[in-house]
Amino acid sequence: MATTETKDLSEHQRLQLQFQLFQESLPKVNDVVYRMLLKEMLPLAIAVDKSLSDDEKEDENDKTEQEHRAAEEKLANLSIGYKGTPSHVLIKEYADSDEERRLRIRTKMMKMGYQIGNQVSELLIFSNNPNLNFRDMDLLSVMKFICRDVWKQLFGKQIDNLKTNHRGTFYLFDYDLKLLEGMALNEDALEKELSVLEPYLDIPCGILQGVLASLGYENNVSCQATFVDVPESKAGGFRSFPKGVSFNVLVNVNPTAGGEKTVDAGAKGAGAQSFPV
Amino acid sequence: MAIYSFWIFDRHCNCIFDREWTLKAKQSSGVVNSKQNEDTAKLLFGMIFSLKSICRKLGNEDVSNEIRTIATGKYRVHVLTTASGLWLVLLTDVQQKNVSEVLHHLYGEIYVPSVAENWLSPIDFAEKEEEKMGQGFRKIQNRYFLRAVEQYLSPMVSR
Amino acid sequence: MSAGSANAAASSVNVSSSTKSLRVFGDEIWKNKTAKINAELFTLTYGSIVSQLSTDFQRNFTKVNEKLFAMGYNIGTRLIEDFLARTALPRCENMVKTSEVISKCAFKIFLNITPQVTNWANNKEAFSLLLDENPLSDFVELPMDAVKELWYSNILCGVLKGALEMVQLDCDVFFVNDVLRGDQSTEIRIKLNRVLKDEIPAGED
Repeated sequence: MATTETKDLSEHQRLQLQFQLFQESLPKVNDVVYRMLLKEMLPLAIAVDKSLSDDEKEDENDKTEQEHRAAEEKLANLSIGYKGTPSHVLIKEYADSDEERRLRIRTKMMKMGYQIGNQVSELLIFSNNPNLNFRDMDLLSVMKFICRDVWKQLFGKQIDNLKTNHRGTFYLFDYDLKLLEGMALNEDALEKELSVLEPYLDIPCGILQGVLASLGYENNVSCQATFVDVPESKAGGFRSFPKGVSFNVLVNVNPTAGGEKTVDAGAKGAGAQSFPV
Repeated sequence: MAIYSFWIFDRHCNCIFDREWTLKAKQSSGVVNSKQNEDTAKLLFGMIFSLKSICRKLGNEDVSNEIRTIATGKYRVHVLTTASGLWLVLLTDVQQKNVSEVLHHLYGEIYVPSVAENWLSPIDFAEKEEEKMGQGFRKIQNRYFLRAVEQYLSPMVSR
Repeated sequence: MSAGSANAAASSVNVSSSTKSLRVFGDEIWKNKTAKINAELFTLTYGSIVSQLSTDFQRNFTKVNEKLFAMGYNIGTRLIEDFLARTALPRCENMVKTSEVISKCAFKIFLNITPQVTNWANNKEAFSLLLDENPLSDFVELPMDAVKELWYSNILCGVLKGALEMVQLDCDVFFVNDVLRGDQSTEIRIKLNRVLKDEIPAGED
């Protein structure tokens, strides 16, 4: 019995190693351009909302043919004398927006996240990860997959803690969300910071829903993120954001019996990392 | 090593950060982004600015012929100039011949992650035309930057 | 993630005008001093952004191009600091040197590709970058209505525009060709308008 186990383990380890080598052999880009792309999604969403509302106003005023041509020429010569609105100024506009506009911006963030999530699970499904078996995955396994593999792929770390009532309610805690790393206003105002950073949480919320949708949980899924305190034991480095994030995922499935239970998603040695195959 | 002060000047000739230590024995002493340092900042900038122009002329307009250190009898000024027009300036005791590693750390490991990669922080601190050409007053204030500078430089203040 | 390195200063000194050493320099930073992520993740993230923009602007691709450019510009003005911290390179003395640094260092360090520098203008102030590979658009196929209008990777022009402006090079940066549109190559044009003057303090001359 013992020998078989060792053999299985080494077989598993071999697959693991193979998988790791395969991952390393894939084309790469610099991590910083990816992080900056994600960060610029918010100023982009704000700028898009702005030009869409400007368009609406202009439509009312009926532009002349000439104005139309001028506008088009301006676009063609985009890069000449270009003056943009800096990212941090656009982000501040979010803080000064009314509820309706905020919601529009947040929806855009969520939608982009959704598409990322939808595709990233495909990327992971076809990655030959020996730890993953999508055929008989129940909802809990799917959530664990998100906590470990999806998060690791997207943010370079796992979800710190996963809680569930086994009836479709999940809480995913990330005490050091990489998206928020090093984000701070140029003034001492944590409350204001939290409110301008809120839309950034919609990216992972959308991702969660996108991944769930790609794995068959398309309807009746909702996700909400809130800032939470970071437990002392989880305090991070100097650029860690002072608040953690809790993602509350509700999946409306047939209720099953079972009480509140905590599942530790964090890796504690090699054993905790692998899924039951 | 003794560090007396640390300054950052931006592309608009503005001082966007200053930290001065007054008591060697007390690392937390001194001032951060202080109004009373305004004149000193202008003088320091002026001195480096003039020497830079002279250097450039002497070096046949070679842009890479940059000022690195200036020594007096009592102290030494170390300058890191970036191609983006930032100057990071460190004042130390005269024995410190080369602190370029310290300056590169301040730039690459502190300024870049906590200002350039901090999407809530401006990278251009002059908000209006009138705040350019040395007329600006806004400073880097974000907590990551302030804390990191303190953590990194304080132990060197009186080593 | 840290960008700079104390060694950067020392290694950049050896980067004289020799283009070969620039290539080695860029390769070395990519290999040893760069945190990396799966390129496909990057591709699909960018794809999600372009697709959302196309929906938002109801497939008015001129506007999509504009927003991608603006997005890039904002990234470029910040990314340049990361680049300078990593490389400790000084300003370039001319556009020939600039083109080498963009291709062999910047593109290499950030996207792990080395575009060809070509099509120089007679005055040596404008050139093209030919992208044989483009991690932004791997496996991307444009829908029919986008083929004529959309510059899918326009964010790159914005990044270059923003980054170059921060080192006092006022340039026009735009796509000339893109294989996604059925062209033979993917070509970005960079044209220097003027070298911006460093500001001097008020009252000085």
